[in-house]
Amino acid sequence: MADTLRLPYCAAGIAAAIGASLLVSDPYVASVVNLVSIAALIAVSLRFVMLIGELNFATAAFVGIGAYTTGSVLTIWDWPFGIAMISGGIAAAAVSVVFGYVTLRTKGPYFLLIGFAFTEAVRIIYSKSMGLGGNSGMVGIFPPIAFDPWMPTFVMSIAALLIFVLYVIEKSDFGKIFTAIRDNEDVARTVGLNILFVKVACFAIASFAAGVAGSLHAVVNNVISPGDFSFLLAAFALAYVKVGGEDNIVGPIVGAILLVVLGSYALGLGGHEHIFYGAAIVLAVLLMPEGVTGLLHKGRDFVMARGKRNAD
Amino acid sequence: MQTESQNSTEPLLKTSGLTRRFGGLIAVNDVDFEIRPREILGLIGPNGAGKSTTFNLISGFYKPSSGSLKILGSDCTGRSSMVISRMGLVRTFQHGSLMPSMTVHENILLGTLHGIRGHAARRKRAEETAEMLGLTSYLAESAGTLPHGIQRLVSIGIAFAARPRLLCLDEPLTGLNQTEVTDTLSMLERIRDDFGCSVLLVEHNMKAVMQVCDRIVVLHHGEVLATGTPTEIRSDQNVINAYLGHRHGN
Amino acid sequence: MQTVIQLTLTSLQIGAVYILFSLGLTLIFGVMRIVNFAHGHLFAVSALLVAVMLSWLAGMGIPILPAYLLAVLAGVTASAALGFIIYVFGFKYFQRDMVGSFILSIGLVLLLDGIFLEIFGGGVRAVPEILPGSVEILGASVTQQRLFLCGMAVVITAALYWALTYTKLGKALRAVSIDHEAAMLQGVPYSRLALAGFMIAAVLAALAGALIAPISIVTPVIGADYLIKGFIAVIIGGLGSIPGAILGALFVAVIETVGSFYLDPTSATITIFVLVIVVLQVRPKGLMGHG
Repeated sequence: MADTLRLPYCAAGIAAAIGASLLVSDPYVASVVNLVSIAALIAVSLRFVMLIGELNFATAAFVGIGAYTTGSVLTIWDWPFGIAMISGGIAAAAVSVVFGYVTLRTKGPYFLLIGFAFTEAVRIIYSKSMGLGGNSGMVGIFPPIAFDPWMPTFVMSIAALLIFVLYVIEKSDFGKIFTAIRDNEDVARTVGLNILFVKVACFAIASFAAGVAGSLHAVVNNVISPGDFSFLLAAFALAYVKVGGEDNIVGPIVGAILLVVLGSYALGLGGHEHIFYGAAIVLAVLLMPEGVTGLLHKGRDFVMARGKRNAD
Repeated sequence: MQTESQNSTEPLLKTSGLTRRFGGLIAVNDVDFEIRPREILGLIGPNGAGKSTTFNLISGFYKPSSGSLKILGSDCTGRSSMVISRMGLVRTFQHGSLMPSMTVHENILLGTLHGIRGHAARRKRAEETAEMLGLTSYLAESAGTLPHGIQRLVSIGIAFAARPRLLCLDEPLTGLNQTEVTDTLSMLERIRDDFGCSVLLVEHNMKAVMQVCDRIVVLHHGEVLATGTPTEIRSDQNVINAYLGHRHGN
Repeated sequence: MQTVIQLTLTSLQIGAVYILFSLGLTLIFGVMRIVNFAHGHLFAVSALLVAVMLSWLAGMGIPILPAYLLAVLAGVTASAALGFIIYVFGFKYFQRDMVGSFILSIGLVLLLDGIFLEIFGGGVRAVPEILPGSVEILGASVTQQRLFLCGMAVVITAALYWALTYTKLGKALRAVSIDHEAAMLQGVPYSRLALAGFMIAAVLAALAGALIAPISIVTPVIGADYLIKGFIAVIIGGLGSIPGAILGALFVAVIETVGSFYLDPTSATITIFVLVIVVLQVRPKGLMGHG
């Protein structure tokens, strides 16, 4: 119920943010907006697979597959920009269907560690593929020149659109099966649901989003290298989810905004990126296991309870 | 012991020679029984008699070592639990047969997802099911926080929302008080009479089994000891010797 | 023939380190059901300290072997202290919480990565040779240091195996990892056991780090490679299984060595990855996993 009430506010907020991004002219702000949008999309993708109860460290690999696909399509084949963007998502989703079909029979630590190994294996493949630029990566992945001033708006709109689609899927009847699988896979199976199919579908949808995030990363940075897509990328995404809170889709977005903005500020002051993100995760899991959104909820309940008491 | 009755109606489920070994242990040995349309069949036996294994075998959670399983005349031996549930056999579990983080409504809705197209139709089915089980006032509550008795009903609700031909319940009465037992039993009778659904009841509560079941299969040491109506079972000398003669734990 | 012996010896050398590493991972998982990604940093801290201390002590004119022993002592103490801190302030609260503990460990990985870089710098450290010279084994040449590493790993593994099989603590640790609830019902003091298991794992990682320092290039991120291989070894063997960890570690070491020799290191890594997936298709809980 609360969700249906919140939806218009969310839509309005997103529209306002996209509108505001049109006014961004400062290149530093523009780069932060791009970073935040991509980070939020990756974090939402990671959380999407957490709905079926699995931690998907292969996310980093799928972001990389999206980035390298878009990079190849633009620089090697010179195809149109739109096709390059969507092909990143499609390639990631296609690989994820095969990978998911094979690995989603395992669960928990096994699935997590396989995803981690996959990310590292894929990264090694890039660094050994001369066609993909080897260790130094690919350069010159540019969006059309006309796009340049609108880049933050474009990136944010794509991210917002995909996040919205993931939200709609999560709230649909189909999305309810995800939570059911996390809660009690056996019961879901006994009412005739094809659990492996649902898991692979969830995984592929999330990977499509991760792939597009990779495409955005490629055209925003113009340069990609294997080092961009190590398991640390998934670890950062996990930080966004944990700091923001995983209970609803707003959490990872809040986490991404908070950490990327604070992070880029701290880095500007000469801080160390790893220490910053590491400390954020450690403090979040120790002090606020429900994340910032969880704290806000509790705070709201507390204030409301006090208000009630005062009224009595 | 078991005579093939001249049933005009085909049995819903029929096992022949169903056997399952775990290493050297034979948990279920050469078990033959059938479940007919519109009946409540009790599956009883002391602890370790093979009830749970049999239950897992017919619902596809274990593969039989030998023997066969037929549902509505077609061979389902070794098929997955998903295929078997799509044939109309839906089961519950002894422990925590629901989704604790979801609402009662969402829980029951799950049972409708495979069989029904369209959200509105699913909602309607879920609400009907909830009403039948007396769960309407709990629909919006989170299932994991409800009292034990209500949770038991919710798990039956998930299974029954799929409108199975055969509803298999694994000890649904455990931990219920007397009123709740009476209510659940009358609900099972309604499921049979109003919906024409058969029920397989694995249960320790002997009084309840004798009261509600049309027929009873008694397992002992993994084998079928006796099959018959409650009256026949009560007077069966084998059963009295092996089982009813001495009191059992729970 | 010489190739076969050379490859076998190399496999054993690499395998020795992987065994020490994965024994710790599997022990912690077995007892506490946690996946600890920061395990590589317990290993790294020891390797780094050994490298720093050894150069420093040797520079002061202390003979190389005593200097090495002192450095090892410092390295193991530092790892144990770090292990104690992250257990008492962190993992203690996340026992049997796979997701929570994993996330905590990822946070620790990032944090410690940054801290190590700040303290030790990103540079590569060369460690002076402690046992110069090499010996001939069946026509294959192997350096004394590597032989020493192998020998120590075998001794430590055997000692651990013996301790887990015959001592009271070892039996309790195994009981908890096989059936937690039953062990609890028997009145096993779980929180003391968890700490003991965690500290044993930390010391194993520290010893592995101290042994690898003289024969390897030591950097602050040295733990990462071993972490990946160590986890692959325990997935293959089955999380929580001690024989599984040993088997998995040797398996990974052999494929890595043979693959690198006949193909190249990249193909070897990819092969290992493919094999993990094949193993998990057949046995979703590893070769020796239970439950």
